[in-house]
Parts: sequence; C-alpha cells; structure tokens
Amino acid sequence: MSENAMQTRVEEIREIIADVLEVEPEEVSETGLFSEEHDVDSLRAIEILARIEKVYKIDIPQEELPKMVCLKAVCEIVAEYAGWV
Amino acid sequence: MTATLAISGWGVLSAAGTGAQEFAGTLAGAAPSRAADVTAMFEEPLPQDRAHALVGFDVRAHLGRKGTSFFDRSTALALVACGQALADTDLEVGEANTGRVGIALGTTTGSLKASSDYSRETLVNEKSYLVNPILFPNTVMNCASGQAAIWYKLKGVNATIAGGPLAALSALRYARNAISRGYADALLVGAVEEFSPHTAWLTEQLYPEAAGRVPTGEGAAVFVVEAADADRAGRRQPDAEVLALEVGEFAPPGEMPDPASGLAAVIRRALAAADVNAAAVELIVTGESGVPELDAVERDAIAATVPGAPRLLPVKHFTGEARAASGALQIAAVLAHHRADPARDGAVSVVTACSPDGSVGAAVLRGWSRGDGTGQSR
Amino acid sequence: MSRRVVITGLGPVSSIGTGVAAFETALRAGRSGISPISSFDASGFPHRNAGEVTDFDPKGLLHTLDVDAWGRTSLFAAAAARLAVQDSGIDPDVLSGSRAGSSMGTTSGESQVIEAITGQWVRQGWQQSAGAPAAQYPASRLAVAVNRELGLTGEAITLSTACSASNYALGYAYDQILTGAADYMVAGGADSVARWAHAGFFRLGALTKERCSPFDAGRSGILHGEGGAALFLETLESAQARGANIYAELLGYGLNCDAGHMVAPDPVSIAACMRLAHRNAGIYASDVDYICAHGTGTPANDAVEYRAVRDVFGHRTPPISSIKSMLGHAMGAASGFGAIASALAIHSGFLPPTINFTAADPEMTDIDPVPNVARQTRVDVVQNNGFAFGGNNAITILGRAT
Repeated sequence: MSENAMQTRVEEIREIIADVLEVEPEEVSETGLFSEEHDVDSLRAIEILARIEKVYKIDIPQEELPKMVCLKAVCEIVAEYAGWV
Repeated sequence: MTATLAISGWGVLSAAGTGAQEFAGTLAGAAPSRAADVTAMFEEPLPQDRAHALVGFDVRAHLGRKGTSFFDRSTALALVACGQALADTDLEVGEANTGRVGIALGTTTGSLKASSDYSRETLVNEKSYLVNPILFPNTVMNCASGQAAIWYKLKGVNATIAGGPLAALSALRYARNAISRGYADALLVGAVEEFSPHTAWLTEQLYPEAAGRVPTGEGAAVFVVEAADADRAGRRQPDAEVLALEVGEFAPPGEMPDPASGLAAVIRRALAAADVNAAAVELIVTGESGVPELDAVERDAIAATVPGAPRLLPVKHFTGEARAASGALQIAAVLAHHRADPARDGAVSVVTACSPDGSVGAAVLRGWSRGDGTGQSR
Repeated sequence: MSRRVVITGLGPVSSIGTGVAAFETALRAGRSGISPISSFDASGFPHRNAGEVTDFDPKGLLHTLDVDAWGRTSLFAAAAARLAVQDSGIDPDVLSGSRAGSSMGTTSGESQVIEAITGQWVRQGWQQSAGAPAAQYPASRLAVAVNRELGLTGEAITLSTACSASNYALGYAYDQILTGAADYMVAGGADSVARWAHAGFFRLGALTKERCSPFDAGRSGILHGEGGAALFLETLESAQARGANIYAELLGYGLNCDAGHMVAPDPVSIAACMRLAHRNAGIYASDVDYICAHGTGTPANDAVEYRAVRDVFGHRTPPISSIKSMLGHAMGAASGFGAIASALAIHSGFLPPTINFTAADPEMTDIDPVPNVARQTRVDVVQNNGFAFGGNNAITILGRAT
C-alpha cells in the first residue's frame, strides 16, 4: 500500500475512533493513550474494534484489544489483519 | 406504616411543553395545539405525518455531547427530565446522601427502537453478529435509570417498572414502598416513552378502527419524591402530596372481570386511603385517548364514584398517546394545575389510568402553588 | 407482632427441568440444560449454544390463558406461577378471592415478540400490520399474565431491572406481605432467548462457545438462558394455619446502584449491597451458609463477585456456587432460579454444584465453588446474589423458617 493510501486509512480510522470517543478527529493524536486522554472504557474499546471490523470486513480477535491503546497501535493491528503491507 | 409521599420538584418534556412553567402554560390554554409535522424526523416511513413528538429535541442541547452520543431517545428524554426535576426541587442531592437517593422509572419496554434496530441488524447485516457493542445497553429496559444514576450520581435504590399506561403509578408505588421501608430517603420517580417509527406503527395498529384517537406522542415526566413527614425545616411547601395510589388487575374491556367496575373499586379504595370525600375532588386527569372502549372504562368508573361534576382533563389531547409516559404526564398535569394558582392550594385531584390489558389505577393528590404565585422555582 | 414472609411454593420452568421435583433432581445431578439454539436461526453466529427450554409446553401447563394471545416470556411467567401455586397446595379459589398479586422481573420482556415484529418489518415493510403482536410486546404483560392465569385482581408489577430483576421482584413482594398490603404474592421472573441479545453478548465478548464454567480458571463467558421462575409467598402464620410445606423464610433483601458504568460491575458497590442485605435481613455475614452466586462465568463478573465476597466474608467465605453453569444465564429469571435453588438448598439440605469446573482460578483459590458434584449438608441461611447491567445490584437472603 502506498504512503498516501495508508495515510487515508489512518484518517478513516482516526474518524472512527473520534466518533466513538465523542471528540473531534484532531483530538485523537497518533500516540496519545485513549485511556489517559479520553477516559476510554472497555465498552468503547470493543466498539472501536467492532466498527473497524465492519468497515474493513476483517476479523480481529478480541485478544488484540489490550494492545489497541492509541491510534498508531490500532492502525498497526488493523494493517496486520487487513494485510495492508 | 405506609408513608405519604411529597413531590418537591418536577421536570417534564412533552409536546405540551418542556419544563414545568411551559407545560403549565400550555395546559392552561384554551385548546390543544395541533400535532407537529414529523415527516422529517426519520428515514423510515411513518403512519401519520403529524404526531405529538418533540421534533427538535436534541439531547446535546441539554446535556452536551460528551457521554450522550449513544443514548437512545428514551434514555435521553428521561435524563433531561431528571435534570429538570433536580433543578426544580429544594432537596439537596449530593455526596452526603448519594446512597439514599434513587430512581424508579416507568416504561413500556424500554427503547423499542433500540431493541428492534438491534434485532434488525442481526437480520440485514452480512454477518449476523456485526452489531454495535456500545448500543447493546440501550436494548436493556433499565438503560435510562442506569444512565440517570451515573449521570446524577444516585447510588440508592434503582428500579425500572414496565407498566405501560400504569407505569407511573406503579413507579410511585414502588418508590413509596422503598421510602416507607427505609431503603431510601428520596427518589426520582417518573416515566418515559419515545416516538419512533416503531412506536408510531404499533400504536397506530393497536386500535385501527378508533377514528377519534389522539395522535401518537412521546415525552417524560420525573418527580422528586420524599416522605411527606420528613423533616422539611427551612424548606418550602411541597408541590403536592400523593395521598393514595391504588391499582388492580382486571380483564380487557368487554371481558370479565369488568375493568370499569374494577377501576371504580380502585378509585373508592384510593379515596378511602386518602381519607378524602369524593365530593371534594376538584379535578380528574384521565388517560382517555379517543379509543371508545378504553375511555368508557374511565368514564364509567368516574361516574360511579365521584359525584357532582369535577373538571375532567384528558391530558392526552395535549400530549398525544405517550404510552408509559402518559401516566407521568397526567400527574404533571395535576402539578401544572397548581403551579401558579394559589387559589387552588390544597385542592384534591385524582388521576385515573387503564391499559388495554385491563390494568387499572388511581392516584389521589393534594397540590399547592409555588409560594410567590409566579410558579417560578426558587 | 410483625409479619414474617415464607416461601411455600416453587415454580421453575427451566432448561434443566420444569416443576420443582424435576428441577431439584437436575440441580442435585448437576445436569446441563445447554443445547444447540433452536428458537432462531443461529447459523450466522460463531457461537450457537444456549439454555433453551426446549420442552416448554404452555398449553399443558396453563389452565386459563389463551396461549396464542401472549408472548413466550409472559407464558413462561404464567406457567411458572401456576406451578408455584400448585406446589403451594393453596386452593386456587381461595387465592383468587384474596388480596393477592404478582411481581415479576425481566431483562428483555417480550423479546421474541419484538423480534417477530421486526422480522416482519424487514421482510414486508413498515406498512404491514403487525397484527396480534402489536398488543403483545409490552413487558408489563409478564405480571399481567400471572394475574390473569390465576384470577388475581391485586397489583401486577413487572420490574425490568435486567439480570437482577427477579430479586427486585421478590423483594417488592416480600414488602407487600410484610406490610400487610397483600396476603399472597407470586414473585419471580421470566425471559426468552433472543437473537438480538445473543448478538450483543457475543459482540461484547461475553459469550462462551460450549460450556459455561463460572469461577474456573478457563472461564470465557456466559451462555444465554431462558425460562420462568416463580415463588409463592405468604405469611408464616398463614402457611402454618393451612399446614403448608414451608421451604424457607424470606428474611430480607438489599438493593443499590453502582452509578458508575452500565456494563462493568463494581466490587465496592456490590460489597455494600451485600452488607445492606444482611442488615435488612437481620443477619451477620457469619450466619450465611451458602452463597448462590450471580456467577455468570465471564472473567470480569466472577472476579468482581469474588472480590466483593472476600471483602464481606473474609476468610470465612461460605461455599459459593453458580447454577448458571447448568442453566445458562436466564437473564431476568436468573435470580428467581437462584432463589428457588436457595429455598431447595435449605429445605432439602444440599448445595447445588458449579458444573464444568476443571481448575481453580489462581486468583481465587480460597473459595469453594462446590465443584461439579452437589453436596449434602445442612443449610440454614442463603445469600442469593443478583447483579445487572446498569449497576442494579439486588441480593435476597433466605433462611430456615424456625
């Protein structure tokens, strides 16, 4: 995947996360921890995973949830399961 | 042993007005306003273009965005009404009494839209299980009361009562028991019903032949309820005392046991429990909705029990058929009737209700105006 | 003299047995009620098991109700109530002529009715009349069905406080009798397996695949269950006067609300609820011989329940088992089944087991979950836990009627 295409995906994911966390996309930084910056709880974390699965038609095991702590980490996991390499 | 309840503040959201003042003003007016154009509210088709819905209601305007985006409409309406009630009362709710203040909310089946849409997702999605986790709590009937507890930090008794048209009376009975038994000192008590294509179609189909039915409605009303004999030093006169709450279970109209004679017995019991002479009843707020067989239950029971000509107020002509919320809106109508009119201080009102299943109930209330005669809260 | 409230009739309609004899036999045998889902097409789900009442026969159980006019959950409620009244031995005519009512709990009410209406909307559009189900979806009909089946004209209240709703319903019924507002009450709860809840629990990661194994090291979630649970309540005086079999006394209950999170339970708040229940029931923690756990089998619930129990009971924690290992999670009926199991534990002197137990969770090795095999022992006081979405905690305390 090209640099540009990847950046588009990152922005898509940023929007999904922002919507679930009820903040503006620009408030979701690459490495800011959801738990610290946005008071994320388990339900919202699963919601993020569920929306990503639906949008990209992929299956991400729930065991990956604990790793999905910030935008960058989420993108890496999605890239892995979606085969974006 | 059973406490008399006092209502020390209340909130209301309905087509007849938002907040105690506006609602009281609408009901004091001469004629019900026309139902609103609801055609732009939903993508789905609706059975009628007009309904007594809160077309412009946006929970964010009341509670902000954070934490409210995923509320179902019932939860949102309930939370706003709870907030109004807490702002309207002179009871302090805070850290000191958080474990002693609770909530009892009436419903028909929670957010029907939330449950049905969730079910729909499992049918139309490519994969049955691709539902939204965050919306799952909305499908559970106690969502509104659970969210209200979180939002307003109420750690006491937290109950949801599925009672349809009787829900508000049942919630008051539940609260009265909780207070009488010493489980709680105060509760937010009320009921909520949302307008959606789901409720609109099912309400429409329940009595398709009744041409004079009021439009479908929605709303919420919530009351701050305490024991009437609690220490009220330094506090104002309550808005009302709930002198009696009686319910009974009979058969649908036309079947036995007859709900009209059942309701008559319930009204008599309520007046006796309130120690009020039937002739002293000045106002009866009914649940009549223009469905002849149901309206007849209330009319016949009232004619048999309350002599003379008390004023009858069928509040659904202002609020629409708001199912579970209706009972709460009826009680709100009694409070509205007193709010700005000291001449009515101490007057006795009765609220009656009847469900299509033959559940009936009656409440007896004695109300007062707000001291300065303006109807303003403190 | 204050009135005392006793349980003289039990009516379970469950995946492990219908009627008190079958239910007790199954509890003692540690029977599993889990089977492949048949009430809806579960082929699109990775997990396809639940504790359905596959042999539910409303026509055979009900005397009065027209079964076609009521949804499945109301029929569960009414059938359980009929069984409880039959078990109590009271003359049905005496009962219907008395100050009597019902108090039933539920999570999802008439979920299958709502799903049927929804299915029709999806297939045929909104304009298509829902027909009879339009009148059948209100959850209030659960208690109404009980009253109608038994001919009771007293209050019929349906408490929809999710998965602890039966304990709410029992508590309210207890107060009605204690205060003299009613002389007889039928109390419990009912729920039906539904596709939407199956999907929701699966998506939350709360649903296990094959077996529900509460308190086990390898536990991985709930299995959805269903059924109706009803208990017949009256005063001790009334029960003695008619020579009724008394299973247990309802000593009291406690309610509170986490007010913290809709889904995640709070051990501090749950511990407070236990203490409240003990105080209201007039007992000490040390009086409790057995805890009928909420024990859903999710990693989170069981860990939180363990922490709360340890906080309240310390090193003297009594045996704590979960009948959800057998029944699955019957939602609003769950704590009703718990109350029935608790009454039987006292009356017949045994502890129901936690089945599917293979290895203790290393974090909770110091509790006794009554692994796999029922235990014969004298039980005088039971704590029946119920927790729920919305932080609705409700705990009932049952004791030997002496």
